[in-house]
Amino acid sequence: MAKQKITSSSTAEYFSKNLQQVGFSSPTKAVLTTLKEAIDNSLDACEDEGILPELYIEIEKVGAGTIKNTDLIRIKVEDNGPGLNIEDIPKVFGEYLASSKFGRGRCSRGQQGIGISAATTWAQLTSAKGARIITKTKTMRQAVSCLVEVDVKNNKGNLKDKKTISWDRSHGVSVEFVLDGRIQLQGEGGLITYLTGTALVNPHLNLRYKLLDQSVVKVDRVSDKCPDIPNAVEPHPHTMKLGEFIAHSHLFGKATVATFLKKGFSRITDNTFQEFIKNGMNKKFLTQSVDKTTDAQFKDVFGAIHKTELMSPSTRSVMIIGEETFSKSVRRLGEVDFFSVVTRKPTICDFKPVAIEIAVARLKTAQKVEGDDSPPVQVLRFANRVPLQFDKSACAMVKAIETVNWRSYGIPQPKNSLPLGPYVIAVSLVSPFIKFKNASKETVDASDELVEEIRRALIQAGQRLSRHIKKEHREADLEEKLRHIEQFCPILVDCLCRITKAPAKRKKAATEGLVKLLGRDVNAAKKELDEALKHHKEAHAKGKIQIVEKEKAKSEDGEEELKPPHPEDSDVIPEAEEAPVKAKIEKPASKAKKKAVAKSKEKMKEKEV
Amino acid sequence: MREDTIPKLSKDLCNRMLTDLENARRPVLEAIKCSLDNSNYNPKVGYLTPGNKMVRSELNVASVQKMSRAIFILEILLRNIETGAVNTKRELYYISKGEVKHNPELRPLDFADQSESDSIIDFICEMMECYREDLNCYANDRGGQTYSNQLVVTETLPDGGKAVVDLSTLGTSPFQPKNRPQSLALKAKKKIDFCLVVESEGTANTFVTNGFCRRNNAILLGAQGVPSNAVRGWCKLIQDQLKVPIYFFGDLDAYTLQNIFRTLKAGSAASLIRNSDFSAPDVRFLGVLPEDIKKYDLADYPVKENDLQEARALKKASDALKNDPFFKDKKNKGLSKILEWLLKNKRRCEQQSYFTVDPRDPIMPEKIILEKIKRGDFI
Repeated sequence: MAKQKITSSSTAEYFSKNLQQVGFSSPTKAVLTTLKEAIDNSLDACEDEGILPELYIEIEKVGAGTIKNTDLIRIKVEDNGPGLNIEDIPKVFGEYLASSKFGRGRCSRGQQGIGISAATTWAQLTSAKGARIITKTKTMRQAVSCLVEVDVKNNKGNLKDKKTISWDRSHGVSVEFVLDGRIQLQGEGGLITYLTGTALVNPHLNLRYKLLDQSVVKVDRVSDKCPDIPNAVEPHPHTMKLGEFIAHSHLFGKATVATFLKKGFSRITDNTFQEFIKNGMNKKFLTQSVDKTTDAQFKDVFGAIHKTELMSPSTRSVMIIGEETFSKSVRRLGEVDFFSVVTRKPTICDFKPVAIEIAVARLKTAQKVEGDDSPPVQVLRFANRVPLQFDKSACAMVKAIETVNWRSYGIPQPKNSLPLGPYVIAVSLVSPFIKFKNASKETVDASDELVEEIRRALIQAGQRLSRHIKKEHREADLEEKLRHIEQFCPILVDCLCRITKAPAKRKKAATEGLVKLLGRDVNAAKKELDEALKHHKEAHAKGKIQIVEKEKAKSEDGEEELKPPHPEDSDVIPEAEEAPVKAKIEKPASKAKKKAVAKSKEKMKEKEV
Repeated sequence: MREDTIPKLSKDLCNRMLTDLENARRPVLEAIKCSLDNSNYNPKVGYLTPGNKMVRSELNVASVQKMSRAIFILEILLRNIETGAVNTKRELYYISKGEVKHNPELRPLDFADQSESDSIIDFICEMMECYREDLNCYANDRGGQTYSNQLVVTETLPDGGKAVVDLSTLGTSPFQPKNRPQSLALKAKKKIDFCLVVESEGTANTFVTNGFCRRNNAILLGAQGVPSNAVRGWCKLIQDQLKVPIYFFGDLDAYTLQNIFRTLKAGSAASLIRNSDFSAPDVRFLGVLPEDIKKYDLADYPVKENDLQEARALKKASDALKNDPFFKDKKNKGLSKILEWLLKNKRRCEQQSYFTVDPRDPIMPEKIILEKIKRGDFI
């Protein structure tokens, strides 16, 4: 017999020793993860109550950290949510796996109830102080301020220093952590990148933040509509394993197996029972109570269910941002030259409902570096409207971007890599059951079905861009031709006249002839451009009509239905497989270019004279 | 081409272009297509000649830059011809840069690098159907260092004077043939038995130092790899003016056979318009022959297929057997058989391997060469 005594540890004990598994693997990540968890909780709380969220964030250095090469950082997140009751505070901030959302099958940001407790643990481990909370609900006359600490041994939150204070808000929560960390503002793991991404996929969010010594940045909401969070759906029986199935049954106690199956799962009806029976389930089990059903009997039921073909799970539980709001939000990324937005109809991937939304935008500021030498595009990944910032290479979204042939849309791309250029590709994946690769929720598992679904959305966004980029190329071609005429005509005629010693009269006649000749070429190029513009407009107009027919409510804002893939594009989705999508493309009118053409012509005329 | 014809041709061309422009017609420039698919080989002629294919270049928005650059460079070249100045392609590149620098209006014509101005010079040559030397644009006189105790060369100088060079008076120094062989006249003081062209310049030097020219009434020259215009024109002169048999001694590999020997014997596809003056169809391939390996027990080695250059040469050899009119012709069956042997056996043997036959006899390669010539052991 082993001499060593076997002991059991609490969940909190486990996580306090393995904080790297939940996003606290480095001082930089610690700051970002703490901010992320606090914001996720605030936004979820606001949306649950239908409140338009208003967040205020403050991050500053308050001294030197206890860990080498770190600073002592104060992170404060204030929201206008419903507020927390005082008895819930220790559970929310100090207890692991205490969540209102665990396994509910809703598209909420938080799921397991680990993140914010881990942030409290990190603060407690590094600065010996937990989280400072101020809360006020509508029913409270005064706000309550307290300090929460994690009782690691017992996985419980302890309240300390509880006092009532006056607070100038009718309701809300303010949470403040002081912890060891390092601040990174820009780049993939940067705080600003995170906040910009959060604003992009939360158009209804009013955000104010103050980072270090910088002045307060305000990001106003672009939508006054709080998203309707679809109701949770019961799990689909085909997504369960036998053990889970039996454990799930225990919730139903004395109810019959039939009731358990109908109420505990989606897509099971009286009709499907007949199918189960045909597939080997004993009819008697249905009327038997769950309590009295043995594991062997459950195994029979489970086997019959898996042999039966069931309807795919409902996609009603999936929410989308919507292309209209997403379009408005894209403009908050910076100075956007043009963009396309694609919202795919919710679909089923790996037996789970998912909705994919894509925004591809070209930024104005970086246009100079477009081409093969430019850096890779910026990828913004979102899972249930939470930015994912680390370990992007293994993520389903990045894999999907790399499999698309962006070259056919006019965007340079090295083989099997991210495309290059001043573009931002934002991929938002919404699903009540997102399969993350790790507990810190940084990478979405790249299953074939999911990658294909994202790829389709990207292809559609790329096709929209391609039409626009081709139009631009034709405009550039025309400009180039005009420039050529201006530059080379006089030189060519001059050289020819010098060699032949031709008189001025011949020179004039030759210049006129040459301009006439090259003018014909330019006219041909202009015709091509006009045709491209016409084609572009026709596609736009056609899209509008289709949307009027299908979705009258959304026809006002110049939206267009995506046509079947353009034959010129290499990545073509078969028409039958293409889900209805909505897309929008915006571009400042090319009047400036037309002006340039007219101006150039005038200039040529002057030269001729 | 006579020197005074270039300015006349140029003026006619420019006049034609100007007239077309006055009438709002697109000037069309035509040049012979210099490529293998427009190459013909007639064994009676002996070198690659151009077919009927022409490259037509019509003036339009896309080609106006190229045309302007061509006329701009033509003007510089005509000025050179008028004053008798000569330049290399690189010098012309810098002259054009200078013109642009001093006349900002010409800035759109500026060349980003020499390859751009080079291609314009080649385009002018093809358009005018002349050699670059006709436009006073000379290349570096590379390769062809010649040794002989019997040869006397008379060079007509640009000022009309004559320079006579007796090669026997040069000791072990070589005579360097010029890229413009038309100005040279050859005479033999004594009967010359043969001319030996050695692929490696170093091996040619060894032969001379070891007394090859003292023992033989011969002309010895080193090709220095792919023969330059100077080497090609020089061999043609030796063949035409002295009427002596010419033998080529080089490596047994696909590169030597196609790029060096074929160019020397029949010219190249890129120089179709000047092969008549820059190829010596009578030159024979003395070795190394595939049978020599066995006969003399020469050290050979396998072709490294992972070596990019060698792999490319083999690929080219198989293409040449299918498409090159020179290798396809019956007259050159012996040479195409060597190519087939190389492709099949994937082995190569260098010219220096003759030194393995008797390592203690420094003139053993010479002895083998003389024996092969005597026996007619060449292709």
